[in-house]
Amino acid sequence: MIRTPSSLRRQLVSFIVFVSLVFCALQATAETTTQKVVVMTSYPEEVVSRFEAGFEKAHPGTRVEIIWRRSGDAATYLKEQPGRIDVYWTPAQRGFAMLAKQGAFAPLTISMKGLPNKVGGFPISDPGLHYVATEIAGFGFALNTQRLKEKGLPQPRQWTDLVNARWQDELIFPVPSKVGFAPPIVEIITQGYGWIKGWTLLQQIGANALPLEEGGPNISDEVAKGRVSLGVSIDFFVKSAIANGAPVSFVYPGIIGYSPAHVAILKDAPHPEAAKAFTQYVLSDEGQKILFHPDIRKLPVRPTVYKNKPDGYYDPFTAAAAMPFQFDTKGALHRQGLNNALFDIMVTERHPRLRELLHALNEAERAAGKNARLKKELQRARKLATQLPITQQETDQLASRFVSNFEEEQHPDFNATMLNAWREKVRINRQQAEQIAERIIAQSSKKDSRP
Amino acid sequence: MRRALAALSGVFVLLCLGGADSIDVRDLSGGSSTVFDTSREAYSLPSPAMDEENERAFARGRSMFRQSWVIAPANDRAAGLGPLFNRISCIACHARNGKGQAPDDPNGSMQAMLIRLSVPGTDAHGGPKPHPAYGDQLNERGIPGVPGEGIAYLLYEEHDEQFADGTRLTLRKPSVHFRALAYGPLGEDILVSPRIGPAVYGLGLLEAIPDETLLALQDQAKPEGIRGRVNIVWDAINQKEAIGRFGMKANVATLTEQVANAFHGDLGITTPSTPRENCTAVQTACKQAPSGRASEYEETELSQADLFATVFYHRTLAVPARRDMSDKQVLRGAQLFRQAQCAACHIPELRTGKQAALHSLSNQLIRPYTDLLLHDMGDALADGRPDFKATGHEWRTPPLWGIGLAKKVSPEVGYLHDGRARTLMEAVMWHGGEATNAREAVRAMSADDRAALIRYLESI
Repeated sequence: MIRTPSSLRRQLVSFIVFVSLVFCALQATAETTTQKVVVMTSYPEEVVSRFEAGFEKAHPGTRVEIIWRRSGDAATYLKEQPGRIDVYWTPAQRGFAMLAKQGAFAPLTISMKGLPNKVGGFPISDPGLHYVATEIAGFGFALNTQRLKEKGLPQPRQWTDLVNARWQDELIFPVPSKVGFAPPIVEIITQGYGWIKGWTLLQQIGANALPLEEGGPNISDEVAKGRVSLGVSIDFFVKSAIANGAPVSFVYPGIIGYSPAHVAILKDAPHPEAAKAFTQYVLSDEGQKILFHPDIRKLPVRPTVYKNKPDGYYDPFTAAAAMPFQFDTKGALHRQGLNNALFDIMVTERHPRLRELLHALNEAERAAGKNARLKKELQRARKLATQLPITQQETDQLASRFVSNFEEEQHPDFNATMLNAWREKVRINRQQAEQIAERIIAQSSKKDSRP
Repeated sequence: MRRALAALSGVFVLLCLGGADSIDVRDLSGGSSTVFDTSREAYSLPSPAMDEENERAFARGRSMFRQSWVIAPANDRAAGLGPLFNRISCIACHARNGKGQAPDDPNGSMQAMLIRLSVPGTDAHGGPKPHPAYGDQLNERGIPGVPGEGIAYLLYEEHDEQFADGTRLTLRKPSVHFRALAYGPLGEDILVSPRIGPAVYGLGLLEAIPDETLLALQDQAKPEGIRGRVNIVWDAINQKEAIGRFGMKANVATLTEQVANAFHGDLGITTPSTPRENCTAVQTACKQAPSGRASEYEETELSQADLFATVFYHRTLAVPARRDMSDKQVLRGAQLFRQAQCAACHIPELRTGKQAALHSLSNQLIRPYTDLLLHDMGDALADGRPDFKATGHEWRTPPLWGIGLAKKVSPEVGYLHDGRARTLMEAVMWHGGEATNAREAVRAMSADDRAALIRYLESI
């Protein structure tokens, strides 16, 4: 605020008059401020405070009041405390779908101009416009390129690049039932590669990985510190760490999926006009650009703001052109709880044994060589090793009985019995696969030992 | 022996971190708790002298510091926000562990700032006497069903300061105003003190400076016009009088009490040290609001373990290293800093005691640029609100370590207790009282020398 001297006296008089006028005007403005908008969210402070400040600047006289609630607990609050919340704004796609089904939201009457409801083949907003996407986050790989070099690992580009046993203990994978952002990864891979191939891939990657559970270390930190070469992660944690100096890079694999966050106005909003203004602000050019902040690094849903994106910022709308697959959001949300349970049975609960089995199968493959009969046997063993206890059709039928992270279980006894039956089926399948692998290795060594 | 080994291992960690050739001991602001990071993470890193076991406690404390609190009852470990509160998380006021800022216009929320309140007189222990209806700070927000206490806003009055070379600098002075007061008028005799959130790194080291050192600093001869004295406060945890060292008026004796008070006063979270909700006698809805419990075994919303973890986090947040100490302009700035007598209160070097809460904090040569003493800073900075022995004109010398990275960590940051200063030079020119001679010495400097002084401040 330094100025050089020139006509200072005249300027000083004008300045004093100006300050007095501004002082009175501001006082008058401030005294009229009484409006508020009550927003329920689970966003962290870095997001909340910036939107709060931006909105209050754009709408002088209206204050934002935040009611913070984890997404799993939000529905309970809304049910028990009706008429208190204006806007629900949070990353919880399944929660929005459930609340919309229960009729909790008012139809949005805001302008949707310039806001597509899909990113390529990936739907992001409610077709009925009761809730709309405000930002999206993608999934991919956080990489420590230095450690990759040291370990002689190639830079991965696809999910399929992570199945090689060379990746063992060199990657972290978040367990979908334990880590809030992780459930969509299962559907992205199973829809992207197909149900059977996708689940096989998940088990192969999972077996190589160090599973990350709730309260586990921060993925960016682990990768940055060089404790592992790669972390499967949602992008913004890693991108924000990169923007703040972490020695990590991020790669979006060929099959990309997104986790959208949404906004909706409650049917019984006590301040409907302020609610509308807040919702419109979050979706506006100005609001969307806040997402570029180094502490946030989410992907805007308004394509035009990418014109002013920071250098190297990922543009999902451009990337979508190269990814033709159509994502079934409804099915993905429906299956989320069941997918989590299946992942635990197939990967998390039997992690060391799954790893040993896949290792034994690789050994058997080497042992089988070109022997067609043994190769056929091996194929059967591989199928048994990763075979799910239920079919895709059964998954869809049973999915509604399962809950996702933080939700209250409706059928605990029934599910427990069923899950135990699945565990047993998987155990038997894998035991058979193990026996086949052992047989192949044994036959091959017998052959080798012949004079 | 164990302590000597701990100190040695700290040095070893630093040598490993920075590379033996690149370490200049002059850079070690926090002794073995120094980090060589100039990114936006600079205030957020654990002390390198910490072992892996302690990393877990640090991570737990960090998670409590970042936690957004929810209204009780809730299916959540962090339930119990309010009934009255300012913000919903610690980091709201201490973004990236740095300082907060004041709103620039009267419609902006106090996102990283609060207003301390009291009435004339003292409480039973000689501390500020809380307002009978509003308590000792304005909680602008309330949970649903409990009216927030009201809205405070700032209006600024600007004036110019002129340097000897004719260059002018515009300063802004805030005045605090209130509206929508929910529990009646504050009264004519209300004492008000606006405060931005302070930076929270290096606090374990400040805690480890012995009382004897502070008393010696108090008693030692100082340049003309400069005095400095310790604040004697009531240590609510140990139930005795003690030397204050935390808070902007050195009004809190221990780090644990400082952390517990912030949970209680700013978030409305009860702790084992502050077990009652923050409601005054007239706040009926507040008193009737539901409280949370950390677990079925705990009576308060924050558990003892989580309070300890948060204190541990603050004890072990490292201090960023000084930089560019051989740079010519920095060296010139350092000389000017001494010549202007800034260093009489912003003491560059202190040594922590042998008895510290953690071995890694003991017997460390640190460069905090504070004496932790109270000084009369003149009328322009006075808040008129006494706090134990601190008068309405007195403030504790704030530590300056790491201040050069403040704008990088948080571009919106403000300086001085109420964030009125937008730049370091503005902060310098607000100095008065005991620091009048220092301010006038800066006023007399050439533009180059002023730039060198600021460059020096930015390097520490």
